[in-house]
Parts: sequence; structure tokens; C-alpha cells
Amino acid sequence: MDFSLQADPPGIGAFRKEVRGWLQENMRGSEGLRWSATWSTRENEEEYRFRRHLAGRLGRKGWLFPMFPAEYGGAGLTIHHQTVLETELAEYGLGLNHVFYTIARIVAPVILKWGSEEQKREFLPPMVRGEISVWQVLTEPQGGSDVANCQTRAIRDGDHYVVSGQKVMVGHHKPPDFLWTLVCTDPSRPRHENLGWLHIPANLPGITIQPMYMMMGLKNSVFFDGVRVPVKYLVGGENNGWRVANTHLELEHGGEGRVGVDPLIERVVEYCQKTKIAGGPLMEDERVRDTIADMMIELNTLRRFNQRNYWHRFTRDPHPYGGAQQRYFQRMMRLRNGERLQRIMGCDALVQDLAVHEVVDFEYAVRTGPGQLHGGGTLDTDRLIFARRLGLGRPTKEQAPETI
Amino acid sequence: MDLRLTETQEMFKKVAADFVRAEAPAHLMTQWYRTKETFRPELYRKAAALGWLGMLLPEQYGGAETSLTDCAVVFEELGRGPVPGPFFSAGVLGAQIVFLGGSDEQKKSLLPAICKGESIPIPAITDQAAGWGPEAVETTLTGSAGGFILDGSKRFVFDAEAATGFIVAARTESGEIALVLVDRASAGLSIKALVGFMVSAAEVTFEKVRVPGSSVITAGSGWQVLSGALEKSLPMLCAYQVGACQEIFGFTAEYTRSRVVFGQPIGRFQRVQDHCVDLSVHLDAARYATYEALWRLDSGLPATAAVHEAKAVASEGYREVCNYAHMVFAGPGTDYGHPLMAHSVLAHTLYQYLGTPSHHKHSMMDLLYPISPKHALR
Repeated sequence: MDFSLQADPPGIGAFRKEVRGWLQENMRGSEGLRWSATWSTRENEEEYRFRRHLAGRLGRKGWLFPMFPAEYGGAGLTIHHQTVLETELAEYGLGLNHVFYTIARIVAPVILKWGSEEQKREFLPPMVRGEISVWQVLTEPQGGSDVANCQTRAIRDGDHYVVSGQKVMVGHHKPPDFLWTLVCTDPSRPRHENLGWLHIPANLPGITIQPMYMMMGLKNSVFFDGVRVPVKYLVGGENNGWRVANTHLELEHGGEGRVGVDPLIERVVEYCQKTKIAGGPLMEDERVRDTIADMMIELNTLRRFNQRNYWHRFTRDPHPYGGAQQRYFQRMMRLRNGERLQRIMGCDALVQDLAVHEVVDFEYAVRTGPGQLHGGGTLDTDRLIFARRLGLGRPTKEQAPETI
Repeated sequence: MDLRLTETQEMFKKVAADFVRAEAPAHLMTQWYRTKETFRPELYRKAAALGWLGMLLPEQYGGAETSLTDCAVVFEELGRGPVPGPFFSAGVLGAQIVFLGGSDEQKKSLLPAICKGESIPIPAITDQAAGWGPEAVETTLTGSAGGFILDGSKRFVFDAEAATGFIVAARTESGEIALVLVDRASAGLSIKALVGFMVSAAEVTFEKVRVPGSSVITAGSGWQVLSGALEKSLPMLCAYQVGACQEIFGFTAEYTRSRVVFGQPIGRFQRVQDHCVDLSVHLDAARYATYEALWRLDSGLPATAAVHEAKAVASEGYREVCNYAHMVFAGPGTDYGHPLMAHSVLAHTLYQYLGTPSHHKHSMMDLLYPISPKHALR
């Protein structure tokens, strides 16, 4: 096995040089910025503008979706090129999964799999080039993890679906261009066969967005009040929403994969080397060292699960249970790490620090522990899916849906 | 990046899997572990004939000089048995110590014999029950090149029963650590099997055992030699534990399908599912830590910390996997006739062997973030 992210295969070295040079040029001006996380309590205009602009520039080169076909706005490159982009961006504390606030990273592959040729040509290029922002709009007030119990109605009326209902805990502090959502297209049909998937322009009349103030930052309620959505925005066909959902959820639930190191441990070590206790650095306290060792090993385990899932996804060989395993492990680990940080650094672990990137802010890391247990389906849903994929108590293993 | 096994490795894997199925099926494993007859000379010779004892050694010594990952693939399959015997202790670690520290003469006489399964030198390292660092080496070696005297007792020697000889770590008069070869038949040497929740382990005592100068592998740099050999060898032990975890996962998942209580297969109960889910996390954590360390070694990257990490994760994982399987199997899983018991006993033994997870975490941290001498005694 070759776990290398830096030893480029023949022909890729030149690409790395190109990317590195390009980033040196295009990241200029970002030195003083501190990146906000995917879920953020920071609302920094200057940072947002830089990232939005960067996404556009990466997108024009096809580099936001390096492996996507060029005709849909991608660069038509290989997994090795993509790994180069990921690792070079990581040098600046960024990754392709979150250049700016949009869920395109998941939506675009789902459209590539389920969209008609016409839809791909119309919907994909602006998304893939980083020109628009898409919100994922799934959770309903009474639904929670039971996504298929979808009450938002989309009833066909001629060339339109008329959408009415409410979604909650979605988006962030920047307005969307599109709402990517599951709706009930035929209430008379059985569960799972009554759903449709809509890609709704956010500026249609009848859509109201209201903020919700949440543990992990600003989220929103979205109200649909008789919104007339042209039928061309239905992705995956009539009453086929649940299959589209499966592709989406597999990617959202850890199957997306990732490469690179979590920078948190580095920051913890730095803190412990600088902070003195009883005349010596905290880093030389045996109990602190034991705690850091456990954190480091678990972060490494997560990094390896992420890399495995990345490899399987982009070699088009979806791992049967890797997504659910990654997410379950990540959630429990973050919860443990929050406690570990409090143990190591006392109340410093609870004080927000805007001078560092949000993902390495201790306060953020502690709050993320309980705050990330449920987003996109609870911890228990993860284990449920995990168990089905392992084939526990059933004659056949549930297959991982094909993603792209 | 390429996370697949190579074609050669797939082939090694298949040959080893067939061997385990044919020579070490579950019903024999349960019997051997129950009666503690874990050294099977005939089985060991068959494995030697397949070339598995000297895989890492150069051809001139009878080895195959494969990559570490190639060798690990075989050990992963052996772990599925779990096939007992000194495959690792003599075939990998013993061989590496001689290869890294021995004189040309020692290498020429010993290594080919190790590869053939004729010589089985078992490392006997620490005198303490706990502690696997140099401080736990207390056995003494006194005398001069004309003839040495070895005195002391090694508390936990894995595979001692199989030994034709021992590689003993001992303190010289100047306080350094020497490694010496001691024939099993030496006068003053006694082996006492340890009885309890462990397997294949014994206390080996050396009472004024005479050691000729020609049997000294290294007089002063024993710990360096040992550390070098351990760095290359431990990943094989990790892979063996990964294979064991994989096997346990397989028969546990199967049990959740076939065992019916309260009117449904137990795998339909979410609490039972949770045990299997946690089991699978430990299994894969061990698998990828092990293969990443192997990749680092095979690619010539710094690997010492990764090897410590792998041993910690794999030994902790094997023990946890057994414990979760016990939760699923309940009573029947504690019957010595059940395949889980062989693993459970072995997992607790290997948790100790060559260092507990805690020992290896400390070693990893000390390597990555050394403590300044000023504070070392705090």
C-alpha cells in the first residue's frame, strides 16, 4: 500500500509546481485572515470576500472539481492531480471541500449521477466554477433523522411543482442561490416511493428565510409558501427522490473522504510547549503527554479512515461501510477530544480565540464535541447504517450506493 | 497513493489463507489453545518449507528478501488462526536480531537454520513483569571473552517452549546491555511455563549459565540492536493481530445472523449492533495504523513513531475486539471449545508481549517530543 500524498507519480510533479506557483500568486492578501470553519460563529466579511473570490478563480481553472468532466466546468484530471490541489491548499489551511460557503461539493456529484444531460449542462457549470452558493435543505421540524418522513409537499400543477412546507437548521449567514431539497411529490404513494428531489432557485416568490441562533453558529428556517418551481428543476425523475437522497447522504455521511492532517494537534502541542507550570513546560507533564498521545493517535486513525474513503470514492470503488464508520468514529473522537482539551488547558479551552483559524480554536473544538453529534443525522443513524452495511442480523449486506 | 495490495501480495495472502484453512482449522485451534500445546513442530516445518521464516532475510542466508508489507500479509493470515508457534518470535524478531547484530560467522551459521525451522532462537529480554525498556534488563553477564557467566531470570518469555536457544539481554559489568545466545540445553537453564490467563509464555531462569565468547552477539550495544530489530519486526506482530481481529469480526457478524432470541436474529437488536460497530472500528484502526507503518518502513521514511503507534493501536485493538465479541457471544464465548477463547487468551498475552499500549505511547511521545534533561526527573 502507498499512503503517500507528496510522492507524485510521473508527470504529476510539474502540476504540483504549477499549482504551488499559482497559489503563491492567488493567496496573496490572505496572510492576515483567519479561516472560519464549515459551521461557524464568525461572520467576517473580509474573509468571506477573499474566499468567494478565490473559489471563482479556482473554479475558472476547473480546479474546484479537478476530476469533473471539462464540459461541466471541471478540469477532467486524475485523483493524483486532485490530491496535489488538496495538499497544496492545505498549506494555506484550506481544502477543496470548503473553499467558501456552499454544499456544491456534494450536490454537483449527485447531479452528475442523477441529472439529465440538459440539467447537467445548465446546473453544473456555475456550481462547479464556484460562482453560486447552494444550501442543502433537508431537515424538517418533525422529521429529524427520519428524512424520508418528508412533509414538505410539491404537488404537480402543469409545468410546475407547487411547494409548501418548512425546513429547519440549514444554511449559514450568507444567502443562497439555490436550495437543494427533498420534497413529497405524491402523498398517496408508500414511504420512499413518494419523494422527489428539487434544485430550487432561491429567489422564487414564496420563499422566506429566518435565522436560528444555534450552538454551532447561525442556521436558518426556510419556509415554502406555495412556491411555483418549474418541473425542469426536478432531479432524478418522478418519485425517485429517495434514491437521489441515498447518493447525497452517502457523500454527506463520511463517504466523501479527505486527505491531509488535522492541524489541531499541532496547535495543542504548541500551546503546551509555551505554557509553563511549576517551572516547566506543560508539554513535559506526564499526564498531559498521555492525553496528547491519545488525541494524536485518534486523530491519526481518523486521518487514515478519511484517506481510505477518499481512495475508494475517487477510484470509483465505494467502501461498503467506510462512510458510516468514519462519521461515527469522528463524532465520538471529537467528543472525547473536547474533554481532553479541558483537562489539558483548563478554562483556556473555553475561551474563543479569533487570532487563529477556527478549526484550531480550542473553544470551537470543545463546543464541536456535543455540537457535531447530530448534523446530517444523529450518531445513532450512523450506527444504524453502519450495522446494515456490515450485514448484522440480516442475510445480505446493504450495499453502499454508487457515488461519483 | 494506492491503497491496494500488489498482485504478489494478493498471491501471498491466498497461499497463507489456504495454509491456515488446511493446517490450522478452528477446531484444532480451540484444542491446542485449551491444552496449551501451542508449539507444533510439524506445522512449523511446513511453514518453513513455504519460505515464511526468512522472508525478510537476504537470499544468501536462505531468505526471500521481500518487502515488509509482503511479509505482513502472510502474518495477517496466520493471525486469523490464530496459528501458534514461534513464526514471529524466532522467524522474524530472532532472525532480525542476529541479522542486525551478529558477526558474519553467527549469521552464516544461524540464519539459514532459522529459515529452515531448525534453529529457533527466542528473545528473552526483560526481567520485570511490567516495563519493556532497557531499565527492565537486570540479568547480569560477568566474566571475559574467555567465558561469561549469565545470571538472572526473564519473567515473560513468549514461545519459550519452542526454543532451541535464547537470545538473552543482559547487563555487563560496565552497565551496558549485551545480547548473548544461549543453548537451551545449557546447564543452569530452566523453563517454567506461566499458568493463567495467558498462553505460550514462560519464565526462563539462567543460574550461573556459562556462555562462550563466541555466543556474544553484541557486548555493549544490545539495546540499539534490539530497537532496530523491533522496528522492523513489530509490524508483523501488528499484522498478525489485525488478522486475528478480522477473523473475530467475521464469526461475530455471522453469529448475529444465525443466533435467534426473542424471536429475531440478535443482530437486529441495536445494542448488539453497537458492540459489532465498535469492534469494527478497532479492527480498522489497527489495520490502517499497521499498513501505514509498513508503508513508511518500506519507503525508507522515518517510521519509529509510526511503529510504536501501530503496536499500541493493534494490541489495544485486539483486546478490545475480543471484549466486544464476548459481549455478543455471552456464555458460549467463554467456553474453551469456542473459537473466541483462543483469541481472548492470546489477545491478553500479546497486549503485554514486547510492550503494552501504554509503553509504546510513551515511547512514541518521547521520540516526537523529547523531555529536556532539566525536567527529566520531575
